[in-house]
Amino acid sequence: MLGVGERFPEFSLTATVSRNKGSEFKTITSDDYAGKWKVFFFWPKDFTFVCPTEIAAFGKLEKQFRDRDAQILGGSTDSEFVHLAWRNNHEDLRDLPFPMLADIKRELTGTLGILDPKEGVAQRATYIVDPDGIVRYVSVNDLAVGRNPEEVLRVLDALQTDELCPCNWQKGEPTLVTA
Amino acid sequence: MNLEALLDAVPGYAKDLKLNFSSVMAQTELTKQQAWGTAVASAVASRNSEMIQAVFGEAVNHLNPPVFDAAKGAAALMGMNNIYYRFHHLSKNEKYANLPARLRMNIIRTHGIDPVDFELWCLAASAINACGKCVDAHERVLREKGVSEETINAAVRIAAVIHGLATVFDTERVAAAQPLNA
Repeated sequence: MLGVGERFPEFSLTATVSRNKGSEFKTITSDDYAGKWKVFFFWPKDFTFVCPTEIAAFGKLEKQFRDRDAQILGGSTDSEFVHLAWRNNHEDLRDLPFPMLADIKRELTGTLGILDPKEGVAQRATYIVDPDGIVRYVSVNDLAVGRNPEEVLRVLDALQTDELCPCNWQKGEPTLVTA
Repeated sequence: MNLEALLDAVPGYAKDLKLNFSSVMAQTELTKQQAWGTAVASAVASRNSEMIQAVFGEAVNHLNPPVFDAAKGAAALMGMNNIYYRFHHLSKNEKYANLPARLRMNIIRTHGIDPVDFELWCLAASAINACGKCVDAHERVLREKGVSEETINAAVRIAAVIHGLATVFDTERVAAAQPLNA
């Protein structure tokens, strides 16, 4: 499984971004959202029980992620049409404010190493990737256990909070060099 | 009220401060940007409405928007850090200095303007907010960046005068609202 400190892989995937006719789908690549943090979270299958609560919970926190210059990108190995049908079908997903990636060829999830060996679908993996494309946090749950998006937000916050003020420097520590 | 009119309204008992203002703003140890940024940060730290309004109204002629924002940002940041780190300094328990602050202060990295100027404005606000640890830390950084004591002192003069004037305007506002019985 791809870990912290490694470069998030390049990808180009169709994503479901809207329920509006004509603009449902968009190709999203690793070059998009330049300069932003990215929060990728994968789930095993659309139309199952645990997933919508998690996804909707991320949706409710989307503004807080956006305020922190982070783009949420959900994904599973389902096709973009399944994502669209699910969004149309499930009340909690109707107004989802972030894209759902369709990794139907299992290219991204395969490279990340997060495919469940038994089920062949994505495990509940979450990646936080910094603006330089480096993985800074990864967590995976077993298929049956949902995640806590508040915790992901807390980690993102902690990753972005550096004690930069000279007031904190202890004797003997290296000085800060500004860009 | 514009700055000139506000200064004209300074009562006689504070004439020294009024005259000091024009001389400290003309100090040659500071660039115009440094002087007006210091004035902005000091006005914010001094918390008086008239002073903030009047200084901002004049400073906008000397500081372009990102620089103006950075001066306000420095004072805002010090509004937070001067309390947090002053607590560490005041408490005899040294453990606090080793606890993670978990306070965002990314503007230190992202202000985008001359780092010397930003540091100078942090120092001015810290002087007004009376955080000893902060004053020491910022003074040290400025000296490491090659800034002279004369320049640092010049900025502190501005902070001192602006703070003094701020107290005058607070006083006069209260006095005007509640005149003393003859």
